[in-house]
Amino acid sequence: MKGSRKKLPYRVKKKINGLVFASPFIIGFIAFFLMPLVNTIFYSFNKIGVGEKGGMTFEWVGIQNYIDLFATEVTTDSQPMARLFTEENTTMLISVPLIVIFSLFMALLANRKFKGRAVVRLIFFLPIILGIDVVVKMLTMTTGATESLDTGSGLLNGSYITMFLLRVLNVPRRILFPIMNYVENIFDLISQAGVQTLVYLTALQSISPSLYEVAKMEGATAYETFWKVTIPSIIHITLFVIIYTVVDLFLDSAIAEEAYSFAFTQNKIGVGSALSVVYIFNVLAVLGLVMLLMGKVVKKNAK
Amino acid sequence: MQNKKNVKPKKNKIKAGNDASLAIYLFKNRSKKGIVNVFSLVLILGLCFTILYPILSLVPVVFSSIEELGNPNVIWIPLEGSTVSFKAAIRLAMPAGMMTMVKSVLYAAGIMVIQVFFSAMVGYALARVDFPGRKLVFALVIIVFLLPRQSLLLAQYIYFTHFDVFGIMDIFTAAGEIKLINNPIALVMLAVFGFGVNQSLFIFLFSQFFKNIPKELEEAALIDGCGFYRTYFKIMIPNAVPIISTVGILSFVWNYGDTYYTNYFNPDGGYMSTILTTTFNTANKEYIQNAVRVWYEIPLVTDMAFDAVKQAAVLIFLIPLAVVYLIGQRKLVENMENSGLVG
Repeated sequence: MKGSRKKLPYRVKKKINGLVFASPFIIGFIAFFLMPLVNTIFYSFNKIGVGEKGGMTFEWVGIQNYIDLFATEVTTDSQPMARLFTEENTTMLISVPLIVIFSLFMALLANRKFKGRAVVRLIFFLPIILGIDVVVKMLTMTTGATESLDTGSGLLNGSYITMFLLRVLNVPRRILFPIMNYVENIFDLISQAGVQTLVYLTALQSISPSLYEVAKMEGATAYETFWKVTIPSIIHITLFVIIYTVVDLFLDSAIAEEAYSFAFTQNKIGVGSALSVVYIFNVLAVLGLVMLLMGKVVKKNAK
Repeated sequence: MQNKKNVKPKKNKIKAGNDASLAIYLFKNRSKKGIVNVFSLVLILGLCFTILYPILSLVPVVFSSIEELGNPNVIWIPLEGSTVSFKAAIRLAMPAGMMTMVKSVLYAAGIMVIQVFFSAMVGYALARVDFPGRKLVFALVIIVFLLPRQSLLLAQYIYFTHFDVFGIMDIFTAAGEIKLINNPIALVMLAVFGFGVNQSLFIFLFSQFFKNIPKELEEAALIDGCGFYRTYFKIMIPNAVPIISTVGILSFVWNYGDTYYTNYFNPDGGYMSTILTTTFNTANKEYIQNAVRVWYEIPLVTDMAFDAVKQAAVLIFLIPLAVVYLIGQRKLVENMENSGLVG
């Protein structure tokens, strides 16, 4: 009797304390996420002006802001809005697989046993600090166009390799040039792969060595081992890495500046909010697609 | 014992029978391994070079004198060393002298401590306490992580401009609202309430970590008479050092380099990252070139001088990060392994 009476309050107490611990986030969610979200949606259906007393005035305009956004408004580079979104999504489509595969590749290399591994790892994770937005901007946005400064130094553009591929192997320009572009800007790719490489390396290290031993005993080649042991072991973490990459890429996008410019330099808060709402749906659609596709792959590999 | 005896003769038989083929097999295997090793070594060196190249290529630019920039004869070693670029960079990027950097570092460290403290609390509650609505809160953390912060920028900005918590501000001010834009309190508040730089990710990492701590530890603490708070601070936190240091490093690096929150919510805060982006904007090129010309009495200042000063500024900016990175890097890999994110 005494025991149960003591136990029950403890559990209740624990629950209350848990709620207290979680409360900063819950309050923050309501104040800094939910309210802004509701407001954004609300603003996007209104024309917003400045009231006589300094407050904001609202005038319901329905979906006019959305129509304006795509029909008449332009970006700060005076390009149509739809183009901004297509560009963003195509980069996403190309960059995400590249970054994920690349970071896995780097992690595989860093996971090998060789002398001086500590130094190599030190360098491999440098992108965590070199990949910060400011640093990348300051390193790559060179105005003087001196060759030694450029990270993509134009090494390949006029080189023999390009000429060889174009003239002798007849690789079509349309395919070759984008690829060359990516090879040249490999630093951009690396700079975005820091955290992903770290996550992959830890995932690789946590695979039990006995699995590899078994594979070796059974006479599996390195190729087979990679596909049958390594990949299934890291497929769960791959989902995380892909989602992280998508989110990270969306963070760098120019939408924030566009929305800010709409709202505070052009004084069209409604249109800016409409842009934000469209953007939210865009992100959710991409993530939904990723999860749908990857969910199937994960399930398949888990069995 | 019997098994062992049986196996041994078998092995010998194979060796005796196929000595030649075994030698060939071993040779093939070894040469294959050698090729793979050489190949991966080349790849590793290449990648290391690619990562370091942007930094290495700065050295000749940054250390050469302004007049000499763009000399086609110079590739790696400047003819005449000079620190003018650095001096100019310090003068431009650190208006308050060393205090600018100290302030940035202190800001990043302070926000880091807040982020770690509150993320750990939320993460612990999500992982170990079955409070009502736990699953919902966990889902919310994920949603916050997924939605890019800038999608809510406008509303947050307006929200901070007319800051008013559920009408409480009526009591304190006449207008019933206070302006928190350009006030560091806004940034601190975001960190406390779980909305700092990538904080939902940190909460997620913490909750994954605390999930893996054995339940017995908690039960033992309970039997010994530890309450909820004592269990958390005396048992859980000392056990969570790996994840705390991982999150701490990431948080410091990201806060120090953050331009988003500082730029929009506290543009005049004097953080180095903000100063870099605003001062070394391409629009300011002429201004910087003129400044260098006047300050150091150099007759001819080209476009390249702008780059040189800019790059010198980046190098200075990177110093605190490099220190933190050098100290924390090795731990980072070890700690991530224990973080519970994997496996």
